[in-house]
Amino acid sequence: MAYGRFLLKRGLQGVLVVWGVVTVVFGLRFITPGNPVNAVAPLDASPELRQRIAEELGLNRPVYVQYADYIWELLHGDMGYSYISSIDASTIVLSKLPATLELAVASTVVAIVLSIPLGVVSATRRHEPADYAATSFSLVGISTPNFWLGIMLVLLLSVELNLFPTSGRAFGFYRSFELLFAEGVGAFWAAITGWLWHIALPAVTLGTYFTALVTRLTRSGMLDELGKQYVRATRAKGLPETLVRYRHALKNTLIPVVTVLGLQMGTLIGGAVITEAVFSWPGLGTTLINAINARDWPIIQGTLIVIGVGFVLVNVLVDALYAYLDPQVVE
Amino acid sequence: MSRDPTDAEPAGAPAGSPDDVLRVRNLTTRFFTEEGQVNAVEGVDFDVRDGEVFGIVGESGSGKSVTALSVIDLVESPGRITDGEVWYREPDLAAEFEDDVPAAVDGEFVDVRRLPEGVRRSLRGPSFSMIFQDPMSSLNPSVTVGEQIAEAVEVQRRASANPRRTRSRTQGYGLGRLLVDTLVPGRGYTSEASEARAVELLEQVGIPDPAERADEYPHQFSGGMLQRAMVAQALAGEPDVLIADEPTTALDVTIQAQILNLLRDLQAEQDTSVVMITHDLGVIARMCQRVGVMYAGQVVERGTLADVFDDPVHPYTEGLLGSIPDMDEPASRLEPIEGNVPSLLDSEMGERCYFADRCPKAMEDCLRPIPMYDAEGSDEHETRCVLAVEEYDEAAALPDGYFESEPDSASESGSADDPAAGEEVSTGD
Repeated sequence: MAYGRFLLKRGLQGVLVVWGVVTVVFGLRFITPGNPVNAVAPLDASPELRQRIAEELGLNRPVYVQYADYIWELLHGDMGYSYISSIDASTIVLSKLPATLELAVASTVVAIVLSIPLGVVSATRRHEPADYAATSFSLVGISTPNFWLGIMLVLLLSVELNLFPTSGRAFGFYRSFELLFAEGVGAFWAAITGWLWHIALPAVTLGTYFTALVTRLTRSGMLDELGKQYVRATRAKGLPETLVRYRHALKNTLIPVVTVLGLQMGTLIGGAVITEAVFSWPGLGTTLINAINARDWPIIQGTLIVIGVGFVLVNVLVDALYAYLDPQVVE
Repeated sequence: MSRDPTDAEPAGAPAGSPDDVLRVRNLTTRFFTEEGQVNAVEGVDFDVRDGEVFGIVGESGSGKSVTALSVIDLVESPGRITDGEVWYREPDLAAEFEDDVPAAVDGEFVDVRRLPEGVRRSLRGPSFSMIFQDPMSSLNPSVTVGEQIAEAVEVQRRASANPRRTRSRTQGYGLGRLLVDTLVPGRGYTSEASEARAVELLEQVGIPDPAERADEYPHQFSGGMLQRAMVAQALAGEPDVLIADEPTTALDVTIQAQILNLLRDLQAEQDTSVVMITHDLGVIARMCQRVGVMYAGQVVERGTLADVFDDPVHPYTEGLLGSIPDMDEPASRLEPIEGNVPSLLDSEMGERCYFADRCPKAMEDCLRPIPMYDAEGSDEHETRCVLAVEEYDEAAALPDGYFESEPDSASESGSADDPAAGEEVSTGD
């Protein structure tokens, strides 16, 4: 019961934050140079024509009317029409979203699979070679910039050794499943392995920093937990060491780790811009950069809102998980 | 208890009362810190008998807690048990290791310290158990109280499913088993029977609505309730020896009495032996039959309750007794012991009676290591003080300020900084 109420509260807070994001994104247009009319009007347009375009776009109405209108349209999934790209902003933003989500999830999976075991081994074999190897890795991982790592991986594994493709996404994860139903297992298998093959390097590039960060966090958290009195008490009652370590100490270590994982994943949804650029990954980051360069306002706004919503959503989910792990949070 | 003269090792259990369940000899635990070697426990001897409450009393930093942890083999790095024997009476265990580790077996007694590590670990829970000072930090905050007690029950159930083969109990519960138990719904380390037993135990220690409380988390319990739950957890394995390390220190005075009564009732009911560790002489007087007084990592006086309370020989024991208020003679001033607990850093410990620098009766004879002497009173009364064998001689007394001028040790008595002492001081008694 308490848990349900907690989730409801967090959900409502999330809605408020999204509303704030929308408001800021809406306001951005008024404080940035560049008249939207210019995007539509020909260079030699007469003032009358410009006036008509502004009226057609609704720009001559009071700001609050425009704002209400904008929110109303957003609630109906309409992010406006991009005259520059000649397409609905929602169409383009939503079509790019899966690629970004795939990359975010894949790099998070890389991070979780590598970092938590590394951190645990490092903590339980403190001052042994395994610990030194893991801490060295995390130091290098944290200090390596994404773009450099990405370029080096491409140079070494793609260009020199020809093991991985240099760029692109091939079929998406989701479309691979469409193929499964449309054309059977063979086509699906080809598509999904192709997808894995393409996403491997971007996911590793994006996940390395993340892996290093979480390894450190897990190591120090685990050391901290293992030094606590309850661990000694748990050993005193004769519980097998496996349970002491993983059921008791690791569970408590994961509470802060889950938070960081979630927050990082939130930033990955919007923040993979550089990695997406290095690997020409067709996601939101690339779209946002292109839209900014073109002053393509509906797409900029749409992308930012989707990133914002994604961030909030991930955070609410993290809170839910956090409350599940740490019962004290609910109260 | 015959000694085997052909064995090169100093084999065989030491002599003692036939009722002994535990005979601890020369237990020595050191901490190897950056400041140097800390002698937290130095050559501690004591016996614990069937169904008795044995008290260990001393100031913060006297090595009581480390002694307890050493007995159940829970000393953590940078600490290490460097010497000593812990003879435990367990005929089944003795029979099992008679051939494999003959040096560790003598009659019904087993020297736990010489058994393989896995076996030592398997003794925790069903043989030795411990209650800690602060119940709040001694339970995992993110696991329900009932579940934590059920774990202790489960340990005992799995052990007693195979009573004669200690080695089979030591077979690990590996990562694979844990993964399966965690991921497969309806599986887990604890069985439903253990969980039901946990609720029974909660009821037994006087927790109302035990079935509901079992599903609550430690932060939903009050301190007194939590210590009751700790008692339930410690008794879940039906241990032979229960070590209670300052079980009431973190509690309100009224709750203290309840917990002590509970412990005494359960101890009488289950006929468990209890080692009661405390700085509170009131607790000792109320609970214990025999008592050991610890100072600077050593047992300085040992005997029956009457020996130690009515007939103390060691000036430290006298000092402890003098520093509790006497309700019958409220007029007399309390006499605190001057000075502080000494540093336990090896480099700062001289070859002398460690109490000499605070002792009102320090003499020249005190400037050498003091052995245990028999003292007046019962047969068991012994003390680490020359006053047991000679009279206090004014002429031989050390002059005032003798230790201040001592070049090596007296200048620094930063005992609060050393880890062994710090551990106890910090928990605030």
